[in-house]
Amino acid sequence: MFARYAARGLKAGVVAGAAFGLFVAFVGDPLVRLSEAVVAGHEHAGEAGGAVLASATSVAAGGLWGLLAGLCFGVAYYVAEPALPGGADARSYLLAAAGFVTVAGAPWLVLPPQPAGVEPALGTEVRLFWYATMMVAGALVCGLSLAAYSRLQYQGRTAGLGAAVVPFVLPLGLAAVAPAAATAPDPTLAAAYRGVVASGQVLLWGTLAAAHSWLARRSSVATRETLDAPASAD
Amino acid sequence: MATSTDTVTGRIDGARTELTVTQLLAGLLLVGVLGGALLFAQEPALHDAMHNFRHAAGITCH
Repeated sequence: MFARYAARGLKAGVVAGAAFGLFVAFVGDPLVRLSEAVVAGHEHAGEAGGAVLASATSVAAGGLWGLLAGLCFGVAYYVAEPALPGGADARSYLLAAAGFVTVAGAPWLVLPPQPAGVEPALGTEVRLFWYATMMVAGALVCGLSLAAYSRLQYQGRTAGLGAAVVPFVLPLGLAAVAPAAATAPDPTLAAAYRGVVASGQVLLWGTLAAAHSWLARRSSVATRETLDAPASAD
Repeated sequence: MATSTDTVTGRIDGARTELTVTQLLAGLLLVGVLGGALLFAQEPALHDAMHNFRHAAGITCH
């Protein structure tokens, strides 16, 4: 059963990885190059000789990123499925939303995506610490939110949803006490850049959830057909 | 099987009986190596080649 869930996550990860790889190829990579040209002065030694190679590696890394997310998603879904509310579709999308909050949303409150070329204000150690802290906070808050919803959903949908929102003050509070990240010299570029990067992550998790729920539905139909068929009884 | 696996603890127990320690370690190793390579690879050629990916994915630690 575990293997079936992990394989399903991996399959969904192939779809999401393909989508995200295309995003990196046609949107992310050109935008990073443009941003570096605009901000200027941020040279990467390896890129001068092999811009095409760097782009190809980045696209492949985007695909692998989707695959990794898919595998982790499949395992997390195996564990969390009984606790998640709703049917297979809602569960997939809820878990994907939790994945987005954990990997991207919460860390971005402290370290928002910076246009390539902007020198970070904080040291690498400090940024790693805050990225990890906010990932833990993001995962924790999703769990708390689920627990709050499960407790209060019997008192009405509004009470349940209201309770589910409350835990999200935790990452917001943490972000308020965290040191400020670098301020981009060009606010318009920074806003456009963040919008594009956020869209990419929404695309990644959205595709993952859509592919996963489709696979889950297909497998439950297959199971029902097997159970219905009298010949398969043994 | 359905009754024993429809809780979170049941699922964890199910995984524990289904997986051998070797399989578990191999899986963790795969995830660790893949994630580590994508995020923290410091080998200069690889690090620079994946620079655009990290920026496009919004990962700012590099």
